[in-house]
Amino acid sequence: MPFGATTRGWAFIALVVLVILFSSLPAGGGDQTASLENRLAKEEILLAKTPSLYFIVYLKSKVIALKSRGLTLQEWKILSLHAWGDTLPLSALTLEKKSTLFPPKRTKIKPAANEEEAATFELDALELKDMPSRFTFFLSGGIRVFVRPKARGFFPRLGNFGHLIVWNVWVPLKNVFLQMRKKPFGSIDIKLENKEDAQSVYWAFPDGIKGVAFPI
Amino acid sequence: MKKKTIRVSLLALVAVLVILEAVAIIVAWPKAATETGLLPEQDDQKAAAKLKAETAALQKKIGALAPKSVFIVIDSARNSLVLKTGGKDLLQAVVSCGSGSILEEPGGKRTWIFDTPRGEFQVKYKVVDPTWVKPDWAFIEEGKEIPKKQEDRLESGVLGDYALGFGDGYFIHGTLYSRLLGRSVTHGCVRVGDKDLKAVYQAASVGTKIFIF
Repeated sequence: MPFGATTRGWAFIALVVLVILFSSLPAGGGDQTASLENRLAKEEILLAKTPSLYFIVYLKSKVIALKSRGLTLQEWKILSLHAWGDTLPLSALTLEKKSTLFPPKRTKIKPAANEEEAATFELDALELKDMPSRFTFFLSGGIRVFVRPKARGFFPRLGNFGHLIVWNVWVPLKNVFLQMRKKPFGSIDIKLENKEDAQSVYWAFPDGIKGVAFPI
Repeated sequence: MKKKTIRVSLLALVAVLVILEAVAIIVAWPKAATETGLLPEQDDQKAAAKLKAETAALQKKIGALAPKSVFIVIDSARNSLVLKTGGKDLLQAVVSCGSGSILEEPGGKRTWIFDTPRGEFQVKYKVVDPTWVKPDWAFIEEGKEIPKKQEDRLESGVLGDYALGFGDGYFIHGTLYSRLLGRSVTHGCVRVGDKDLKAVYQAASVGTKIFIF
């Protein structure tokens, strides 16, 4: 007998998991691009009518665009993108909070004590290089966006490996937990080309900015 | 026997974890937009054509919101200013934007955050040889007493040859500290080098749009 009872048991479990997994995949509908483009245009015109900056994440084209009045002010190419959880709503999202391990700190200016000190006074600048390159955006509707740059060097690669485990093991489990509590959940993992791109995304997206993410 | 029990228990635990993880992955698997029911299938060719026409009209409307003439785009992260018209860049300049620093009034009554504001603005007025009306924070920062008379607040020659005001006391103006261009060192205004400032001043008029991000 080539296979024992235990092996057959494992094989059966693996088969059941695979069947469930593949049967749950989206079937792939017809051409929805026209509908999506229409919906995007409807959402964008609402955002473009305000004097505020807004963003559009083109999920299929893998581009993040920062816009105002329909003008693209800056674009960032997404190297890779993965998602878990609920379908993103096809309506405006708001950036509620930015979270990072080491948030940039503003310098407090100490007023000069005398004229001599005032003459030598120089401001400390909070600049792009001070921005984090790995961070999470908390969007409305329980959507979390993890942003990180492509890892270059040993430690960033190690960090990305850790992220990979968190992303593939912990995030799905958290989703189940949140679903049981009937809380919305959607997670997007975005990898950008380099550190400066990630830092400039952190800079360019102020709290409260609105935007949309479309599978176009 | 004991060893076997431990091994079986461990295997069972791993199996439970694997199954739990598999279930979690299935539940968390992203759904396509079509599954939400938000997007009806567009099988009907007429309906699809109508939808495309509607989209084109909307996109035209969005396009019409963009400025028709010269406009200014300022990237406060990279301290750059671009003078644009349509899809063409007329001028690219290195500038200085807000430092992001905080100043607290002794006694803690008022606080200032020296950020360059972001969003859409427009040139509200243009000034040649501008005189700086020093705000309260400038005196506090220098450790001086805030003057009571307006004329004690005036300081000429520090804003360069031209200034373009875009509201709430913010200006695009010149600088004495051209070595700091490219650094985020201002109190929120946008400092531009002499030559570039002249070009911006000449190209922009009252109403010219300024986009800052």
